[in-house]
Amino acid sequence: MDANNPILLMAGTQEHDLTRLDEYRAVSGYKALERARALEPQAVMDEISAATLRGRGGAGFPMGRKASLLAKGTGKPTYLVINADESEPGAFKDRDVLRMTPHRLIEGCLITAHGIGSKSVFIYIRGEYAHEFDVMRDALEDARTAGLLGGVTIVLHRGAGAYICGEETALLESLEGQRGQPRPRPPFPPVNGLYGAPTQINNVSTIALVPKIIELGAAEFSKIGVPSAPGTAVFSLSGNVAEPGNYERPLGTTLRELIYDVAGGIAGGRELKAVIPGGSSVPVLTPAEIDTPMDYDSIQAAGSFFGSAAIIVVDDRCCMVQLALRAEQFYTHESCGKCTPCRVGTRWLVQLLTKIEEGRGDRSDLDLLEGVCDRMLGKSLCALGDFAVYPVASYLEKYRGEFEAHVDGHGCPFGGASSIEGTFAPIDQHAPNLAETVHA
Amino acid sequence: MTQIYERIRELRRKYPQSRSAVMDALRLAQTEHGGWLPPEALREVADALDVTPAYCHSIASFYDMYHLEPVGKHMVEVCTNLSCALAGAQAVLDAFAHELGVRPGETTDDGEMTLRAIECAGGCGRAPVVVVDHVYHEPLRPEDVPGLLQELRGRE
Amino acid sequence: MPDLVSLTVDDRVVQVPSNTGLVEAALAAGVEIPVFCYEPRLGAPIGACRMCLVEIEGIPKLQAGCTLTAIEGMVVRTAATSAKAADGQESTLEFILANHPLDCPVCDKGGECPLQDLTFRYGPGRTRMTFPKVTFDKPIPVSPLIALDRERCILCYRCTRFSEEVAEDGLLIARNRGARSEIATFEDEPYRSVFSGNVIELCPVGALTSSMYRFDARPWEIQNVPTVCTGCATGCNVTATIREGKVKRILSRNHAEIDRGWLCDKGRFTYPHLLARDRITAPLQRGPKGLKEVSWDEALDAAEEMLREAEGAIVTALSGSETTEIAYALGRLLRGGVGAHSAVLPEATSDALEAFRLPLSAIAEAELVVVVGDDPVVERAPIVDLWLKEARRRGAEVVACSPTGTVQVAPGGSAALCQGISAAGNELGQRLRNADRAVLVWSGPGGGGGARIAELAHELGFEEKPGCGAFHLPVTPNGRAVAAAWSASADADETRPETISVLVVSGEDAAADPGVRALAEQAERVIVVTMFHELVGGWADLILPATGALERDGTTMNLEGRLQRLRRAVAPPCPDELAWISKLAARFDVEISPHASAVFAELSEHLFQDLSMDEIGLRAALPSRTAYEAPAPAAQPASVPEHGATELRLQRYRALISGPAVERVRELEFQRPEREVEISAVDARQRGISSGDPVLVRSNGTSIELRARVNRRLVEGIARVAEEHAADLHAVVEVVKA
Repeated sequence: MDANNPILLMAGTQEHDLTRLDEYRAVSGYKALERARALEPQAVMDEISAATLRGRGGAGFPMGRKASLLAKGTGKPTYLVINADESEPGAFKDRDVLRMTPHRLIEGCLITAHGIGSKSVFIYIRGEYAHEFDVMRDALEDARTAGLLGGVTIVLHRGAGAYICGEETALLESLEGQRGQPRPRPPFPPVNGLYGAPTQINNVSTIALVPKIIELGAAEFSKIGVPSAPGTAVFSLSGNVAEPGNYERPLGTTLRELIYDVAGGIAGGRELKAVIPGGSSVPVLTPAEIDTPMDYDSIQAAGSFFGSAAIIVVDDRCCMVQLALRAEQFYTHESCGKCTPCRVGTRWLVQLLTKIEEGRGDRSDLDLLEGVCDRMLGKSLCALGDFAVYPVASYLEKYRGEFEAHVDGHGCPFGGASSIEGTFAPIDQHAPNLAETVHA
Repeated sequence: MTQIYERIRELRRKYPQSRSAVMDALRLAQTEHGGWLPPEALREVADALDVTPAYCHSIASFYDMYHLEPVGKHMVEVCTNLSCALAGAQAVLDAFAHELGVRPGETTDDGEMTLRAIECAGGCGRAPVVVVDHVYHEPLRPEDVPGLLQELRGRE
Repeated sequence: MPDLVSLTVDDRVVQVPSNTGLVEAALAAGVEIPVFCYEPRLGAPIGACRMCLVEIEGIPKLQAGCTLTAIEGMVVRTAATSAKAADGQESTLEFILANHPLDCPVCDKGGECPLQDLTFRYGPGRTRMTFPKVTFDKPIPVSPLIALDRERCILCYRCTRFSEEVAEDGLLIARNRGARSEIATFEDEPYRSVFSGNVIELCPVGALTSSMYRFDARPWEIQNVPTVCTGCATGCNVTATIREGKVKRILSRNHAEIDRGWLCDKGRFTYPHLLARDRITAPLQRGPKGLKEVSWDEALDAAEEMLREAEGAIVTALSGSETTEIAYALGRLLRGGVGAHSAVLPEATSDALEAFRLPLSAIAEAELVVVVGDDPVVERAPIVDLWLKEARRRGAEVVACSPTGTVQVAPGGSAALCQGISAAGNELGQRLRNADRAVLVWSGPGGGGGARIAELAHELGFEEKPGCGAFHLPVTPNGRAVAAAWSASADADETRPETISVLVVSGEDAAADPGVRALAEQAERVIVVTMFHELVGGWADLILPATGALERDGTTMNLEGRLQRLRRAVAPPCPDELAWISKLAARFDVEISPHASAVFAELSEHLFQDLSMDEIGLRAALPSRTAYEAPAPAAQPASVPEHGATELRLQRYRALISGPAVERVRELEFQRPEREVEISAVDARQRGISSGDPVLVRSNGTSIELRARVNRRLVEGIARVAEEHAADLHAVVEVVKA
């Protein structure tokens, strides 16, 4: 492993076809599992805790601490659920794990299952990842035939197209055959999760890091990255960069490094205008803020969130009001509809942003935009209600001039030339009742 | 009793509780019914799972990948979320709309192609992303559209 | 007894049991936490509407109060003392109102609407929504009974949770996602469930409303009369809403031990029968030219004459739906005045059950419930079916031993089954003996009116255990008290006269009963007390108009053995029965008061230890158990009819939504039993029949065409048909494809 550029999650994928069991074994695949199975389960979890493995799904909650909350002695089985419902706009890292190094995920599942005393694993794969499902299915079959499962059942469950099912408790509902709507918490999944039983639920990339942690040991692992967030993360760069793609780097790498050194800078020689560091659901950062290290605590201190480390790069050809509208159209399309503020608020924000973008708004509409955001923030049943606010509230805060130009100038200052001009949103494909025509 | 009854009963056994099989069952029934879920498909699934058709409808209508109206033989889905939009997805969507003579969300008159815009498909690094019959084409540019359609049509 | 915890709500300290929900805990402190989606009877709280947002000290984000449980030391701030919570609650209302139509002037819910009330208390004063609101076609008939207005719906999911988690019918669902979500049924089929009407009461806005009540009254111009439903033997507590002297609707009055606030559609929607087209309001006498309206004096003259001439050769057929007082008064008149001691009741009732008395709510507390009997519980006593479902949801094992149960028992086999359970070595019997909280339910004909189930309970040692008991589900709402009152009205043996000079038929159920009709054919003359002309016009000699249960004061005893009060909600269009019975009795030197309370006082001396009517109260108490008295041994069971290989035994059952009153409510038509015959999968396969096929059901000259329905759970060898479709079919039938 290159100490300057340690690759953990995707190790070996450039050189080998790790969908094949023999090739995975050739890079020490399933050795960590062997080692883990020889340890007491608690020892395995202690190692993961010592490594401060923070959840790579977005929240960054330490995996070891999550597992320590699992209820014991309930008489019910303990379940391990893998969240492979990656649907955050800008995120495509879990997809690479599934299709390029499926065995590493399987190994991670088996090690974790051993650690938490689970015999039953469910992997919830977003429905659109059909190829990735096939790869996982074949890899699982190979693992089973090779006798690696050791009495643990791993069930592959396919989603069917709903972003909200990436939310932990909504995922559990969906897995149970209900509509994918979140549950009130408490109780939390470690106490009352799948089928009412204690459940450990983690992101694909989190679990797929477990074999390397066992292989290297927590101490070695912790030398990479930053103390509050050791290890590597796969950063997904997309948007107006020259070389978009997935890049595994140590946590703590700055946004500037990722955008300019790793992803080739802004495409076409344009100017950087905005960076959304963690997928569309986090507050935007301006070019002045790109020296922030990409780790959970630093980004949060800068006023945004690490999220899925899905860095969307926006250049100066893009109208921020249009971008806010496009983002909000996503959230209203994906809102599950269970709770009032998200269901009603996202739609209202779309109506307001449309009015402003089309030049029919006035200054009071900007205040109203803020007001609706305030009334949504912190009041929903799940984080989607907050995610739906961050784009609008943060673009309005940091690019207010552009919003004011729309209302004062009665139209988009880009005059039809914005890079995302006229982008059609899926929500407008539904019956007109919903996409209401807005009167002046 | 159709053939899918037995296959769905089989799917139930994957899970500790049989309702969990509803998503797989709906997908199976959708394939059997030409890509969409007419009422009788929902009844079949309900029968095999010992639940009501209303419940099946409630589940099917929640997700984007179940179609409760007829769709074309081929499904062309263009992502227009943030990263793809920044990469020019609208021009791709416009190219498809122009070539097919339909608006997004519609099916061609000959019942061959349904075109629709979708939210983030997870291919942002190779935007713009187009998914055709569940296969990712990434990146796909407007100039690639005629060729892709030709190939689709030719592939019969 | 759970421990107490102490918490502070809006600076008020309160102590509550440790598993108390926060909404109830706040209430105990005198503080309102406003809610929409929260309803404890619907299962675990879902935290959807966000109306209940409160501040909890130590937690930065507002919390949904309804999802929390009181914890020691918790400090809660509601809108009253927290600006943040007030803003949260106001936000919820602003969002709800943003798309809510300003329908109040035309919405039935106005004036009794939680959304209106909470908006006044916690909502914004004006709207900031300037865009067009979401519109839908409205109202949509969810069924002939229920109208859905999707624009008003706030998606609190109370109705869908009721359908899924209480009635467990899975018919009313939410479809689509997000702001496009809407409440619907499959393919817009009517919501066909006997519990459907409950969603009207559950709905906190005017989205689900009663079609019958639409535009009929406003809450400030009605009176509410507390009474009890007599549609079945459960005796749910109800409130009759009156406007201008007419019953406009029936609502649940919530007796925690009997109905828990639920009501079935029969109890809720049958009231229009009081205004049926063929309602008799004046006495009718048969003359040479047919029936003629006569005055009450003339009618009583005729009755007196008939009764005197009969010289005691009189049989009285009682419906079991009379009030206790009417049954007693009839007894005093006929037995005391004319020596007419012979009576016919639709079914027997056994006092042996009193040793195993429990409130219905005990079913939900049980660990093990065994249901025996031919008839589905939901057809006999629907709310009991809801209790059974609640029991199962709470983890009880519910064993159904019936033609469609987990333990398949052919019709008529329940008595033998009970004996089997009580035998040594029987596994189920052993579990029942070991259980602390077990309940037996007999749902079906036979069984000696609960005698067999009481015997089984005795064998299992249930008297010793306060958590164990037994229920018999009769078909008549007040059969037990009617029989007891008739018995107590005189001291003499009842012997059936050889020839019947006069048959007195009391009530619709007796008038519609084929057995009673057969007696009427034998009788020389027939006096019928009934509400409806069409029932008896062809064969009665003297018809006296009857009152309906909503028009009566009196008492009724439910299947628990609980005596409850009926209160007159509206005046009947004819004199109350007690009035003319009193007059007629006087002619035979029998003194009986025309007032229900006085009649009750007299019968109470014999039956209820001098309990007075006033003491019964608005929510009657369940009397305690009495000592076990072995019932009369079982009569020789009817032999199971033999049938050939190609034949099936016919099982008739009386559907809940049936009967003369129900038939006169057109909105209930769709809930009436389908013209179907149910057969098992094996029998269907043998005959090449699939569900939906038209088939002929025939026996000895009668042939009826019905639709087949294959019931995979039905025991082999049986054909099930609703009573009203079975006509003259014999006990053994052939079923062939039409």
